[in-house]
Order: sequence, then structure tokens, then C-alpha cells
Amino acid sequence: MKVFMIPPNSLILYDLVERFGHQPLSLMGELREHVVKPEIESPPLNLSQEDIMNGLKYAGIEVPSGVRGRLGIWGPMVDEAEAAIIMHDMPYTFGCVGCHRTNLMLIYMVRRKKIPILEVHYPKTDEEAKVMVTKIKAFLEGLK
Amino acid sequence: MIVIAPSSDLTPDQVARFIHSLGLDINIKETCYGANIEGPKGQVRKALTEVRKLDPNRIFSKVRAFPIGDERRCRAHHGSRPGFNQVEKEWKDLSMIDAGLCAADRGEICELPPPPEKLPVKRLREIVDEVTK
Repeated sequence: MKVFMIPPNSLILYDLVERFGHQPLSLMGELREHVVKPEIESPPLNLSQEDIMNGLKYAGIEVPSGVRGRLGIWGPMVDEAEAAIIMHDMPYTFGCVGCHRTNLMLIYMVRRKKIPILEVHYPKTDEEAKVMVTKIKAFLEGLK
Repeated sequence: MIVIAPSSDLTPDQVARFIHSLGLDINIKETCYGANIEGPKGQVRKALTEVRKLDPNRIFSKVRAFPIGDERRCRAHHGSRPGFNQVEKEWKDLSMIDAGLCAADRGEICELPPPPEKLPVKRLREIVDEVTK
């Protein structure tokens, strides 16, 4: 099954989803298609007009362009998702997942979609990590 | 992108040499956190499967958007590294995830202890009375 993850560029979630036999829908995989295609229209990331218009499907015109631009890439992934794992308490707010409003919007979009969702928290101790990993394992093994 | 957990005894050099020794038709770049490999999908998958066998619960992987040595990201070309903070943070957590995977392998049933109960008002009154006496 195609499993969407939040944060969409998480190494931990990507590895666990793949390890337990599902296909992770990741930001990196989606962007790879953009950055390796022979396109010189809009370097460096080759985001085109079409991607921006895609973003409008998920957020209104009055929404900040950063949110719309991100949703232009992430939105189609949510559409494609058959299950999702959300990892809360992201202790960082920078880089490509640095827009908190987009993250909130993304969580809202995923929750609104009628798919199996698992919500966990970033672990701070070994005990919490054990709980998190066993929950994710049980969730992924339960998906058909 | 292959990332070695901090709890592993493997070094990026060992991993890179091991992948070289497989004789696959892929590009390999040793990095500070592990190695980046690139090539035909089947070959990359094969390399990954073999590398994981070295230390199954302490070797992690994910796909990387930019090719190896891409000028937009490669440090040698002063590329920007917006994803580095994410990798750094999650790399630090990998030893905990390793503990989690080992527990899952053993079939442990893990549950967090219930949060501590709130102090009842009656008990609070008793404490206040004791202090004010």
C-alpha cells in the first residue's frame, strides 16, 4: 500500500514503512522526478507553472505562496495515499518542512481523507521509541 | 541514501567498501553519515538488501531527491543544504529507533506507563494545613 508520512521527508518513517513492506510516498521521491528531468524552465527545482496551479486545488489564492507552493507538491501525494502515519512534535521548524501552517493544513487534509491513520510522537527516550516502533509495526502489518 | 545509526559499530568507510565489493553497476559516495548510492533501481535495491544484512536494525535508508554531486546541493560546489538539519536530528534519534526495532523483533508488547494522577483537592488541603500549622 502507498503510505503517506508526515513529516514527508522523514528518514525514520521512510525506512520503517519500507522495512515493513509498504511503499512510502515521500517528498524526496516526488522532488527527484522534478530535479532530474531535463527541464531548464525554472531552475533550480524545476517547479513549473503547472505545479503552482496544482497548489490552487488545495489552498485558496489568498493563502501565502509558500503554503500553496508546498501543497502543489504534497497535495497530489495525499490524494494518492492509501494510509498515513503522522509523527507529531517535530522539534525543528526549518528547511523544506519549516512552514508550520503548511504542516497544519497537511494534517487537516490527511485527517479529512477516509484512510487508516496512525498518529505517533517523536520519541525522546528508548521506552517511547519502543512504543512508537511497535505501534508503527502493528499498524503497517495490519494494512491490507 | 544509507544512514548508519550512531549505536552501530560500522563506519561509512566500511559500508562504502562493502558496496564496492559487491561489484554492482552503481555509483557510490561515502558521506559522513553513511553512503549515497545511485544507479538502476534493481541494482540499488540489491545493494541495499546486502548492506542491511551487515547490521539490520542500525542501517537506515531513504530516497534522496538530488543526484550524487549535484551542484545545487553538493557541498563541494557550495550548494545549499536545507535537508541537512532534518537528517542530523533524525540521525541522533536512530539509536532509539534501533532499540525500538530490537523490541519489535523480540515481540515485546510495549506500553507507556499511565501519566501520573492529578493531586486530589482533599490531599492538597491536607498539605496546606500541615504547612500552615
